Amino acid sequence: MKEQFLGFGLGLRAPHLEQIITEKPAVDWFEVISENYFVAGGKPWYYLNKIRENYPVVMHGVSMSIGSTNALNIDYLKSLKETIARVEPQWVSDHLCFTQVGDINSHDLLPMPYTQESLEHLASRIHQVQAYLGTEMIFENVSSYLTYKESQMTEWDFLAALHHKTGCRYLMDVNNVYVSARNHQFDAMTYLNAIPKKAIAQIHLAGHQDFGSHIIDTHDEDVSPPVWDLFTRYAQQLGPVSTMIERDDNIGTLEALIKELDQARELVQPFWQGMAKNE
Amino acid sequence: MSDLAQLQQHFMALLQGTSDKLADHITEQGELNTNQRLSIYQNAYKIRLRAVIEQDHEQLGRYLGDDLFELMVEGYLQTFPSKFTSLRNFCDQLPQFLSTTEPFIQHPILAEIATFERMLLTAFDAMDAAHLRVEALESIAPENWPSLQLVLQPSVQLVCFNTNAVESWQALKEQQSPPEPQHQSSKCWVIARDLQRRTQYVYVDQQEFRLLSLIKNQTPFAQLCQSCLNELEPSLIAGFLIEKINSWLERGWLKQF
Repeated sequence: MKEQFLGFGLGLRAPHLEQIITEKPAVDWFEVISENYFVAGGKPWYYLNKIRENYPVVMHGVSMSIGSTNALNIDYLKSLKETIARVEPQWVSDHLCFTQVGDINSHDLLPMPYTQESLEHLASRIHQVQAYLGTEMIFENVSSYLTYKESQMTEWDFLAALHHKTGCRYLMDVNNVYVSARNHQFDAMTYLNAIPKKAIAQIHLAGHQDFGSHIIDTHDEDVSPPVWDLFTRYAQQLGPVSTMIERDDNIGTLEALIKELDQARELVQPFWQGMAKNE
Repeated sequence: MSDLAQLQQHFMALLQGTSDKLADHITEQGELNTNQRLSIYQNAYKIRLRAVIEQDHEQLGRYLGDDLFELMVEGYLQTFPSKFTSLRNFCDQLPQFLSTTEPFIQHPILAEIATFERMLLTAFDAMDAAHLRVEALESIAPENWPSLQLVLQPSVQLVCFNTNAVESWQALKEQQSPPEPQHQSSKCWVIARDLQRRTQYVYVDQQEFRLLSLIKNQTPFAQLCQSCLNELEPSLIAGFLIEKINSWLERGWLKQF
Protein backbone atom coordinates (compact mmCIF):
# COMPACT_ATOMS: atom_id res chain seq x y z
CA MET A 1 0.00 0.00 0.00
CA LYS A 2 1.83 3.14 -1.16
CA GLU A 3 0.35 6.38 0.07
CA GLN A 4 -0.40 8.84 -2.66
CA PHE A 5 -1.59 12.42 -2.49
CA LEU A 6 -5.36 12.08 -2.37
CA GLY A 7 -6.07 15.75 -1.77
CA PHE A 8 -8.37 17.00 0.98
CA GLY A 9 -10.65 14.62 2.84
CA LEU A 10 -13.07 14.24 5.71
CA GLY A 11 -13.70 11.68 8.41
CA LEU A 12 -16.85 9.82 7.40
CA ARG A 13 -19.51 10.26 10.09
CA ALA A 14 -23.00 8.79 10.41
CA PRO A 15 -25.03 12.04 10.24
CA HIS A 16 -23.63 12.81 6.77
CA LEU A 17 -23.94 9.44 5.03
CA GLU A 18 -27.22 9.99 3.17
CA GLN A 19 -26.19 13.46 2.08
CA ILE A 20 -22.83 12.29 0.76
CA ILE A 21 -24.48 9.57 -1.30
CA THR A 22 -27.16 11.82 -2.78
CA GLU A 23 -25.21 15.06 -3.23
CA LYS A 24 -21.70 13.74 -3.94
CA PRO A 25 -20.01 16.77 -2.33
CA ALA A 26 -16.62 18.09 -3.40
CA VAL A 27 -14.54 16.08 -0.97
CA ASP A 28 -11.52 14.26 -2.40
CA TRP A 29 -11.61 11.23 -0.09
CA PHE A 30 -12.99 9.90 3.16
CA GLU A 31 -11.47 8.25 6.22
CA VAL A 32 -13.50 5.61 8.07
CA ILE A 33 -13.00 4.27 11.59
CA SER A 34 -11.86 0.69 11.05
CA GLU A 35 -13.65 -0.80 14.06
CA ASN A 36 -17.00 0.62 12.93
CA TYR A 37 -16.89 -1.96 10.15
CA PHE A 38 -16.09 -4.97 12.32
CA VAL A 39 -19.79 -5.75 11.90
CA ALA A 40 -21.25 -8.21 9.45
CA GLY A 41 -23.50 -6.01 7.35
CA GLY A 42 -26.54 -3.77 7.44
CA LYS A 43 -26.55 -0.04 6.93
CA PRO A 44 -22.91 0.57 7.91
CA TRP A 45 -21.68 -1.54 5.01
CA TYR A 46 -24.46 -0.47 2.67
CA TYR A 47 -23.53 3.19 3.05
CA LEU A 48 -19.80 2.57 2.88
CA ASN A 49 -20.09 0.52 -0.29
CA LYS A 50 -22.15 3.29 -1.90
CA ILE A 51 -19.60 5.91 -0.91
CA ARG A 52 -16.71 3.78 -2.13
CA GLU A 53 -18.26 3.92 -5.60
CA ASN A 54 -17.46 7.64 -5.76
CA TYR A 55 -14.60 8.31 -3.36
CA PRO A 56 -11.24 6.85 -2.31
CA VAL A 57 -11.41 5.59 1.26
CA VAL A 58 -8.71 5.12 3.90
CA MET A 59 -9.09 3.22 7.17
CA HIS A 60 -8.20 4.60 10.59
CA GLY A 61 -8.19 2.35 13.64
CA VAL A 62 -8.39 3.19 17.33
CA SER A 63 -7.95 -0.19 19.04
CA MET A 64 -4.85 -1.91 17.71
CA SER A 65 -3.00 -1.03 20.90
CA ILE A 66 0.31 -1.36 19.10
CA GLY A 67 2.19 -0.15 22.17
CA SER A 68 0.61 -2.56 24.62
CA THR A 69 2.81 -5.15 26.30
CA ASN A 70 -0.02 -7.67 25.88
CA ALA A 71 0.45 -10.28 23.23
CA LEU A 72 -0.83 -9.00 19.90
CA ASN A 73 -4.58 -9.44 19.71
CA ILE A 74 -4.89 -11.87 16.83
CA ASP A 75 -8.71 -11.77 16.86
CA TYR A 76 -8.50 -8.02 16.38
CA LEU A 77 -5.92 -8.32 13.60
CA LYS A 78 -8.02 -10.97 11.88
CA SER A 79 -11.06 -8.67 11.92
CA LEU A 80 -8.91 -5.82 10.64
CA LYS A 81 -7.48 -7.92 7.84
CA GLU A 82 -10.95 -9.06 6.78
CA THR A 83 -12.19 -5.46 6.84
CA ILE A 84 -9.23 -4.29 4.77
CA ALA A 85 -10.07 -6.96 2.19
CA ARG A 86 -13.67 -5.71 2.00
CA VAL A 87 -12.95 -1.97 2.01
CA GLU A 88 -9.85 -2.02 -0.20
CA PRO A 89 -8.60 1.23 1.37
CA GLN A 90 -5.84 3.40 -0.02
CA TRP A 91 -4.03 2.85 3.27
CA VAL A 92 -4.58 1.86 6.90
CA SER A 93 -3.61 3.77 10.03
CA ASP A 94 -3.81 3.49 13.80
CA HIS A 95 -2.23 5.28 16.76
CA LEU A 96 1.17 5.06 18.44
CA CYS A 97 -0.15 4.34 21.88
CA PHE A 98 -1.59 1.60 24.06
CA THR A 99 -5.29 1.13 24.73
CA GLN A 100 -5.47 -2.34 26.28
CA VAL A 101 -3.84 -3.72 29.41
CA GLY A 102 -4.48 -7.33 30.33
CA ASP A 103 -7.97 -8.07 29.10
CA ILE A 104 -9.35 -4.59 29.73
CA ASN A 105 -9.66 -1.98 27.03
CA SER A 106 -9.53 1.66 28.06
CA HIS A 107 -10.83 2.89 24.68
CA ASP A 108 -8.45 5.79 25.19
CA LEU A 109 -5.22 6.53 23.35
CA LEU A 110 -2.76 6.28 26.24
CA PRO A 111 0.73 7.68 25.69
CA MET A 112 3.90 5.60 25.63
CA PRO A 113 6.98 6.47 27.66
CA TYR A 114 9.71 7.52 25.24
CA THR A 115 12.31 4.96 26.23
CA GLN A 116 14.61 2.57 24.45
CA GLU A 117 12.40 -0.26 25.68
CA SER A 118 9.32 1.33 24.07
CA LEU A 119 11.26 1.90 20.87
CA GLU A 120 12.32 -1.73 20.62
CA HIS A 121 8.85 -2.91 21.60
CA LEU A 122 7.05 -0.78 19.02
CA ALA A 123 9.52 -1.62 16.28
CA SER A 124 9.00 -5.31 16.86
CA ARG A 125 5.22 -5.02 17.00
CA ILE A 126 5.03 -2.86 13.88
CA HIS A 127 6.97 -5.49 11.94
CA GLN A 128 4.72 -8.26 13.27
CA VAL A 129 1.48 -6.43 12.52
CA GLN A 130 2.54 -5.43 9.02
CA ALA A 131 3.65 -8.98 8.28
CA TYR A 132 0.31 -10.35 9.48
CA LEU A 133 -1.75 -7.82 7.57
CA GLY A 134 0.42 -8.03 4.48
CA THR A 135 0.52 -4.27 4.19
CA GLU A 136 2.39 -1.31 5.60
CA MET A 137 0.52 0.82 8.10
CA ILE A 138 0.86 4.44 9.09
CA PHE A 139 0.73 5.57 12.70
CA GLU A 140 -0.70 8.70 14.28
CA ASN A 141 0.86 10.74 17.07
CA VAL A 142 -1.49 11.07 20.06
CA SER A 143 -2.06 14.12 22.22
CA SER A 144 -1.02 13.78 25.85
CA TYR A 145 -1.42 15.40 29.23
CA LEU A 146 1.48 13.89 31.14
CA THR A 147 5.19 13.18 30.83
CA TYR A 148 6.67 10.03 32.31
CA LYS A 149 9.76 10.30 34.49
CA GLU A 150 11.07 7.24 32.64
CA SER A 151 11.16 8.97 29.24
CA GLN A 152 14.69 9.12 27.88
CA MET A 153 14.02 11.25 24.82
CA THR A 154 11.51 13.73 23.46
CA GLU A 155 8.45 12.54 21.61
CA TRP A 156 9.79 13.93 18.34
CA ASP A 157 13.17 12.25 18.72
CA PHE A 158 11.29 9.05 19.54
CA LEU A 159 9.18 9.28 16.37
CA ALA A 160 12.24 10.05 14.25
CA ALA A 161 14.10 7.11 15.77
CA LEU A 162 11.16 4.78 15.19
CA HIS A 163 10.98 5.86 11.57
CA HIS A 164 14.70 5.23 11.09
CA LYS A 165 14.39 1.85 12.77
CA THR A 166 11.31 0.56 10.97
CA GLY A 167 10.66 2.81 7.98
CA CYS A 168 7.16 3.35 9.33
CA ARG A 169 5.39 6.51 8.25
CA TYR A 170 3.13 8.82 10.17
CA LEU A 171 -0.28 10.31 10.18
CA MET A 172 0.65 13.64 11.69
CA ASP A 173 -2.21 15.14 13.67
CA VAL A 174 -1.21 18.78 13.76
CA ASN A 175 -3.83 19.55 16.41
CA ASN A 176 -2.41 16.79 18.63
CA VAL A 177 1.06 18.30 18.29
CA TYR A 178 -0.31 21.70 19.27
CA VAL A 179 -2.25 20.25 22.23
CA SER A 180 0.78 18.39 23.56
CA ALA A 181 3.05 21.38 22.94
CA ARG A 182 0.84 23.57 25.12
CA ASN A 183 0.39 20.89 27.78
CA HIS A 184 4.11 20.13 27.98
CA GLN A 185 5.46 23.54 27.03
CA PHE A 186 7.53 22.65 24.02
CA ASP A 187 7.73 24.30 20.61
CA ALA A 188 5.39 22.63 18.13
CA MET A 189 7.52 23.49 15.10
CA THR A 190 10.57 21.94 16.77
CA TYR A 191 8.54 18.74 17.04
CA LEU A 192 7.33 18.84 13.43
CA ASN A 193 10.71 19.76 11.99
CA ALA A 194 12.36 16.81 13.74
CA ILE A 195 10.33 14.24 11.84
CA PRO A 196 11.73 13.47 8.37
CA LYS A 197 9.41 14.94 5.75
CA LYS A 198 9.39 11.69 3.83
CA ALA A 199 7.88 10.01 6.89
CA ILE A 200 4.65 12.00 6.71
CA ALA A 201 1.91 10.16 4.85
CA GLN A 202 -1.23 11.97 6.04
CA ILE A 203 -2.29 14.98 8.08
CA HIS A 204 -5.19 15.33 10.51
CA LEU A 205 -6.64 18.70 11.46
CA ALA A 206 -9.07 18.93 14.36
CA GLY A 207 -10.36 21.11 17.16
CA HIS A 208 -9.76 21.19 20.89
CA GLN A 209 -10.92 22.93 24.03
CA ASP A 210 -8.57 25.46 25.58
CA PHE A 211 -8.80 25.79 29.37
CA GLY A 212 -5.94 28.28 29.65
CA SER A 213 -3.74 26.18 31.89
CA HIS A 214 -4.07 23.24 29.53
CA ILE A 215 -5.81 22.01 26.39
CA ILE A 216 -8.04 18.98 26.04
CA ASP A 217 -7.99 17.26 22.67
CA THR A 218 -11.71 16.87 22.06
CA HIS A 219 -11.98 16.84 18.27
CA ASP A 220 -15.38 18.49 18.79
CA GLU A 221 -14.66 22.06 17.72
CA ASP A 222 -13.59 23.90 14.60
CA VAL A 223 -9.87 23.91 13.94
CA SER A 224 -8.47 26.73 16.07
CA PRO A 225 -6.48 29.68 14.64
CA PRO A 226 -3.17 28.56 16.22
CA VAL A 227 -3.57 25.12 14.65
CA TRP A 228 -4.34 26.66 11.26
CA ASP A 229 -1.20 28.75 11.65
CA LEU A 230 0.90 25.74 12.63
CA PHE A 231 -0.50 23.71 9.75
CA THR A 232 0.20 26.47 7.24
CA ARG A 233 3.80 26.89 8.35
CA TYR A 234 4.35 23.14 8.38
CA ALA A 235 2.66 22.50 5.06
CA GLN A 236 4.85 25.07 3.28
CA GLN A 237 7.87 22.93 4.06
CA LEU A 238 6.20 19.59 3.64
CA GLY A 239 4.78 19.60 0.15
CA PRO A 240 1.55 17.87 -0.83
CA VAL A 241 0.31 15.43 1.81
CA SER A 242 -3.24 14.06 2.02
CA THR A 243 -4.97 16.26 4.57
CA MET A 244 -8.29 15.90 6.32
CA ILE A 245 -10.57 17.41 8.92
CA GLU A 246 -11.33 14.98 11.73
CA ARG A 247 -14.42 15.72 13.84
CA ASP A 248 -15.40 13.07 16.38
CA ASP A 249 -18.10 14.79 18.41
CA ASN A 250 -20.42 17.77 18.03
CA ILE A 251 -20.28 16.72 14.39
CA GLY A 252 -22.26 19.60 12.87
CA THR A 253 -23.28 19.94 9.26
CA LEU A 254 -21.43 18.55 6.29
CA GLU A 255 -21.38 22.04 4.83
CA ALA A 256 -19.51 23.38 7.87
CA LEU A 257 -16.89 20.65 7.63
CA ILE A 258 -16.46 21.21 3.90
CA LYS A 259 -15.99 24.91 4.62
CA GLU A 260 -13.14 24.02 6.98
CA LEU A 261 -11.73 21.66 4.40
CA ASP A 262 -11.83 24.42 1.78
CA GLN A 263 -9.98 26.64 4.22
CA ALA A 264 -7.22 24.02 4.48
CA ARG A 265 -7.11 23.76 0.70
CA GLU A 266 -6.88 27.52 0.21
CA LEU A 267 -4.20 27.91 2.85
CA VAL A 268 -1.76 25.43 1.40
CA GLN A 269 -2.51 25.05 -2.28
CA PRO A 270 -0.49 28.15 -3.23
CA PHE A 271 2.53 26.44 -1.72
CA TRP A 272 1.77 22.95 -2.91
CA GLN A 273 1.14 23.73 -6.56
CA GLY A 274 4.15 22.53 -8.47
CA MET A 275 5.74 20.90 -5.43
CA ALA A 276 6.43 17.18 -5.69
CA LYS A 277 5.16 14.95 -2.92
CA ASN A 278 7.85 13.93 -0.47
CA GLU A 279 8.59 10.31 -1.11
CA MET B 1 7.65 -7.82 34.51
CA SER B 2 9.22 -5.17 32.26
CA ASP B 3 9.21 -1.50 33.21
CA LEU B 4 6.88 -0.79 30.30
CA ALA B 5 4.43 -3.51 31.32
CA GLN B 6 4.39 -2.28 34.90
CA LEU B 7 3.78 1.30 33.83
CA GLN B 8 0.88 0.22 31.66
CA GLN B 9 -0.62 -1.78 34.51
CA HIS B 10 -0.37 1.26 36.77
CA PHE B 11 -2.14 3.33 34.11
CA MET B 12 -5.03 0.88 33.82
CA ALA B 13 -5.28 0.62 37.61
CA LEU B 14 -5.58 4.39 37.74
CA LEU B 15 -8.44 4.34 35.25
CA GLN B 16 -10.13 1.54 37.17
CA GLY B 17 -9.73 3.48 40.41
CA THR B 18 -7.81 0.69 42.11
CA SER B 19 -4.38 2.32 42.44
CA ASP B 20 -2.69 5.68 42.04
CA LYS B 21 0.84 4.32 41.71
CA LEU B 22 1.05 5.91 38.28
CA ALA B 23 1.51 9.26 40.03
CA ASP B 24 5.01 8.17 41.06
CA HIS B 25 5.97 8.00 37.39
CA ILE B 26 4.78 11.45 36.33
CA THR B 27 6.97 14.52 35.98
CA GLU B 28 5.73 17.73 37.60
CA GLN B 29 5.53 20.42 34.94
CA GLY B 30 3.67 23.61 34.07
CA GLU B 31 0.49 24.89 35.62
CA LEU B 32 -1.13 21.50 36.24
CA ASN B 33 -0.03 19.26 39.05
CA THR B 34 0.20 15.50 38.66
CA ASN B 35 -3.21 14.79 40.14
CA GLN B 36 -4.83 17.18 37.71
CA ARG B 37 -3.04 15.55 34.80
CA LEU B 38 -4.11 12.08 35.89
CA SER B 39 -7.68 13.17 36.46
CA ILE B 40 -7.90 14.22 32.81
CA TYR B 41 -7.42 10.59 31.84
CA GLN B 42 -9.73 9.29 34.57
CA ASN B 43 -12.49 11.64 33.50
CA ALA B 44 -12.04 10.91 29.81
CA TYR B 45 -12.29 7.18 30.46
CA LYS B 46 -15.61 7.52 32.27
CA ILE B 47 -17.05 10.15 29.95
CA ARG B 48 -16.31 8.08 26.85
CA LEU B 49 -17.86 4.87 28.17
CA ARG B 50 -20.80 6.70 29.72
CA ALA B 51 -21.50 8.24 26.31
CA VAL B 52 -21.56 4.79 24.72
CA ILE B 53 -24.16 3.57 27.22
CA GLU B 54 -26.18 6.73 26.70
CA GLN B 55 -26.07 6.38 22.93
CA ASP B 56 -26.79 2.64 22.74
CA HIS B 57 -29.47 2.73 25.45
CA GLU B 58 -31.13 6.08 24.97
CA GLN B 59 -34.64 5.07 26.02
CA LEU B 60 -33.40 3.03 28.97
CA GLY B 61 -31.60 6.15 30.12
CA ARG B 62 -34.79 8.16 29.89
CA TYR B 63 -36.72 5.49 31.73
CA LEU B 64 -34.19 5.46 34.57
CA GLY B 65 -33.84 9.21 34.98
CA ASP B 66 -30.56 10.97 35.75
CA ASP B 67 -29.76 9.58 39.21
CA LEU B 68 -30.44 5.91 38.48
CA PHE B 69 -28.70 6.21 35.13
CA GLU B 70 -25.54 7.49 36.82
CA LEU B 71 -25.79 4.67 39.38
CA MET B 72 -26.08 2.16 36.55
CA VAL B 73 -23.11 3.65 34.69
CA GLU B 74 -20.90 3.56 37.81
CA GLY B 75 -21.89 0.00 38.61
CA TYR B 76 -21.55 -1.27 35.06
CA LEU B 77 -18.10 0.27 34.60
CA GLN B 78 -16.96 -1.39 37.82
CA THR B 79 -18.53 -4.78 37.08
CA PHE B 80 -18.01 -5.06 33.35
CA PRO B 81 -15.02 -2.98 32.22
CA SER B 82 -14.68 -3.25 28.47
CA LYS B 83 -12.97 -6.38 27.20
CA PHE B 84 -13.79 -5.52 23.62
CA THR B 85 -11.79 -3.78 20.95
CA SER B 86 -14.94 -2.20 19.56
CA LEU B 87 -17.24 0.01 21.63
CA ARG B 88 -20.08 -1.59 19.68
CA ASN B 89 -19.96 -4.50 22.15
CA PHE B 90 -19.25 -2.63 25.37
CA CYS B 91 -22.86 -2.79 26.60
CA ASP B 92 -23.46 -6.41 25.67
CA GLN B 93 -23.66 -7.39 29.35
CA LEU B 94 -25.91 -4.54 30.40
CA PRO B 95 -29.08 -6.70 30.46
CA GLN B 96 -27.24 -9.22 32.64
CA PHE B 97 -26.05 -6.43 34.94
CA LEU B 98 -29.56 -5.03 35.32
CA SER B 99 -31.07 -8.42 36.03
CA THR B 100 -28.53 -9.32 38.72
CA THR B 101 -27.71 -6.04 40.48
CA GLU B 102 -29.58 -4.11 43.15
CA PRO B 103 -31.60 -1.93 42.91
CA PHE B 104 -32.21 -2.66 39.22
CA ILE B 105 -32.99 -6.32 39.84
CA GLN B 106 -36.21 -5.18 41.57
CA HIS B 107 -37.49 -3.85 38.24
CA PRO B 108 -37.41 -6.61 35.58
CA ILE B 109 -38.58 -4.18 32.92
CA LEU B 110 -35.15 -2.52 32.94
CA ALA B 111 -33.26 -5.62 31.78
CA GLU B 112 -35.92 -6.22 29.15
CA ILE B 113 -35.68 -2.68 27.77
CA ALA B 114 -31.89 -3.11 27.64
CA THR B 115 -32.28 -6.46 25.88
CA PHE B 116 -34.64 -4.92 23.36
CA GLU B 117 -32.21 -2.09 22.61
CA ARG B 118 -29.31 -4.55 22.17
CA MET B 119 -31.44 -6.57 19.74
CA LEU B 120 -32.24 -3.46 17.72
CA LEU B 121 -28.50 -2.88 17.38
CA THR B 122 -27.89 -6.48 16.41
CA ALA B 123 -30.56 -6.30 13.73
CA PHE B 124 -29.10 -3.01 12.50
CA ASP B 125 -25.70 -4.40 11.56
CA ALA B 126 -26.34 -8.13 11.11
CA MET B 127 -25.00 -9.85 8.04
CA ASP B 128 -26.69 -9.13 4.72
CA ALA B 129 -28.19 -11.99 2.73
CA ALA B 130 -30.29 -12.23 -0.40
CA HIS B 131 -34.02 -12.31 0.31
CA LEU B 132 -36.12 -15.31 -0.57
CA ARG B 133 -38.50 -14.55 -3.43
CA VAL B 134 -41.88 -16.11 -4.05
CA GLU B 135 -40.68 -17.37 -7.46
CA ALA B 136 -38.11 -19.56 -5.71
CA LEU B 137 -40.84 -21.19 -3.63
CA GLU B 138 -43.09 -21.66 -6.66
CA SER B 139 -40.34 -23.58 -8.43
CA ILE B 140 -40.10 -26.20 -5.67
CA ALA B 141 -41.57 -29.52 -6.74
CA PRO B 142 -44.45 -30.74 -4.51
CA GLU B 143 -42.52 -33.85 -3.45
CA ASN B 144 -39.71 -31.65 -2.08
CA TRP B 145 -41.90 -29.52 0.16
CA PRO B 146 -41.96 -31.86 3.19
CA SER B 147 -38.18 -31.71 3.53
CA LEU B 148 -37.94 -28.02 2.71
CA GLN B 149 -36.11 -25.94 5.33
CA LEU B 150 -36.90 -22.25 5.30
CA VAL B 151 -34.08 -20.01 6.57
CA LEU B 152 -34.43 -16.77 8.53
CA GLN B 153 -32.45 -13.70 7.56
CA PRO B 154 -29.42 -13.15 9.84
CA SER B 155 -30.99 -9.95 11.18
CA VAL B 156 -34.13 -11.76 12.41
CA GLN B 157 -34.23 -12.13 16.18
CA LEU B 158 -37.00 -13.66 18.25
CA VAL B 159 -37.71 -12.62 21.80
CA CYS B 160 -40.48 -12.80 24.38
CA PHE B 161 -40.80 -10.33 27.24
CA ASN B 162 -42.77 -10.66 30.46
CA THR B 163 -43.15 -6.93 30.99
CA ASN B 164 -44.42 -4.06 28.86
CA ALA B 165 -40.81 -3.21 27.94
CA VAL B 166 -41.44 -2.63 24.24
CA GLU B 167 -44.53 -0.50 24.84
CA SER B 168 -42.56 1.60 27.33
CA TRP B 169 -39.62 1.92 24.94
CA GLN B 170 -41.97 3.02 22.19
CA ALA B 171 -43.64 5.66 24.38
CA LEU B 172 -40.27 7.09 25.38
CA LYS B 173 -39.10 7.10 21.77
CA GLU B 174 -42.17 9.19 20.94
CA GLN B 175 -41.35 11.60 23.78
CA GLN B 176 -44.31 10.39 25.83
CA SER B 177 -44.47 9.15 29.41
CA PRO B 178 -44.11 5.38 29.58
CA PRO B 179 -47.01 3.33 30.98
CA GLU B 180 -46.75 1.94 34.49
CA PRO B 181 -44.51 -1.13 34.48
CA GLN B 182 -46.54 -4.31 34.25
CA HIS B 183 -45.76 -7.96 34.54
CA GLN B 184 -47.76 -9.71 31.88
CA SER B 185 -47.96 -13.06 30.19
CA SER B 186 -45.19 -13.59 27.72
CA LYS B 187 -45.45 -11.27 24.72
CA CYS B 188 -43.33 -12.15 21.70
CA TRP B 189 -41.60 -9.98 19.13
CA VAL B 190 -39.61 -10.26 15.96
CA ILE B 191 -36.83 -7.71 15.53
CA ALA B 192 -35.37 -7.58 12.04
CA ARG B 193 -34.35 -5.41 9.13
CA ASP B 194 -36.96 -5.01 6.43
CA LEU B 195 -36.43 -4.99 2.67
CA GLN B 196 -35.38 -1.32 2.85
CA ARG B 197 -32.79 -2.12 5.59
CA ARG B 198 -34.88 -0.36 8.24
CA THR B 199 -34.82 -1.97 11.66
CA GLN B 200 -38.35 -2.99 12.64
CA TYR B 201 -40.01 -4.72 15.57
CA VAL B 202 -43.23 -6.62 15.09
CA TYR B 203 -45.53 -8.26 17.62
CA VAL B 204 -46.27 -11.91 16.82
CA ASP B 205 -48.64 -14.27 18.59
CA GLN B 206 -47.47 -17.47 20.28
CA GLN B 207 -48.32 -19.62 17.28
CA GLU B 208 -46.31 -17.50 14.82
CA PHE B 209 -43.48 -17.23 17.32
CA ARG B 210 -43.38 -21.01 17.61
CA LEU B 211 -43.26 -21.43 13.83
CA LEU B 212 -40.45 -18.91 13.46
CA SER B 213 -38.54 -20.59 16.30
CA LEU B 214 -38.89 -23.93 14.52
CA ILE B 215 -37.59 -22.40 11.31
CA LYS B 216 -34.66 -20.94 13.21
CA ASN B 217 -33.92 -24.47 14.41
CA GLN B 218 -33.86 -25.73 10.81
CA THR B 219 -37.09 -27.70 11.13
CA PRO B 220 -38.42 -29.23 7.87
CA PHE B 221 -41.69 -27.95 6.47
CA ALA B 222 -43.51 -31.21 7.25
CA GLN B 223 -42.82 -30.70 10.94
CA LEU B 224 -43.99 -27.09 10.73
CA CYS B 225 -47.30 -28.47 9.49
CA GLN B 226 -47.44 -31.07 12.24
CA SER B 227 -46.81 -28.42 14.89
CA CYS B 228 -50.08 -26.77 13.86
CA LEU B 229 -52.24 -29.88 14.36
CA ASN B 230 -53.26 -28.91 17.90
CA GLU B 231 -54.59 -25.55 16.74
CA LEU B 232 -55.92 -26.08 13.22
CA GLU B 233 -57.91 -28.57 11.21
CA PRO B 234 -55.52 -30.48 8.93
CA SER B 235 -57.25 -29.15 5.84
CA LEU B 236 -56.57 -25.56 6.93
CA ILE B 237 -52.88 -25.93 7.74
CA ALA B 238 -51.42 -25.57 4.24
CA GLY B 239 -53.37 -22.39 3.53
CA PHE B 240 -52.49 -20.98 6.92
CA LEU B 241 -48.78 -21.59 6.42
CA ILE B 242 -48.78 -20.18 2.89
CA GLU B 243 -50.38 -17.02 4.23
CA LYS B 244 -47.73 -16.80 6.95
CA ILE B 245 -44.87 -17.44 4.53
CA ASN B 246 -46.17 -14.72 2.21
CA SER B 247 -46.24 -12.24 5.08
CA TRP B 248 -42.66 -13.19 6.06
CA LEU B 249 -41.56 -12.73 2.44
CA GLU B 250 -43.14 -9.27 2.38
CA ARG B 251 -41.40 -8.35 5.60
CA GLY B 252 -38.06 -9.62 4.30
CA TRP B 253 -37.56 -12.16 7.08
CA LEU B 254 -36.62 -15.15 4.93
CA LYS B 255 -33.27 -15.76 3.35
CA GLN B 256 -32.70 -17.17 -0.14
CA PHE B 257 -31.83 -20.87 -0.05
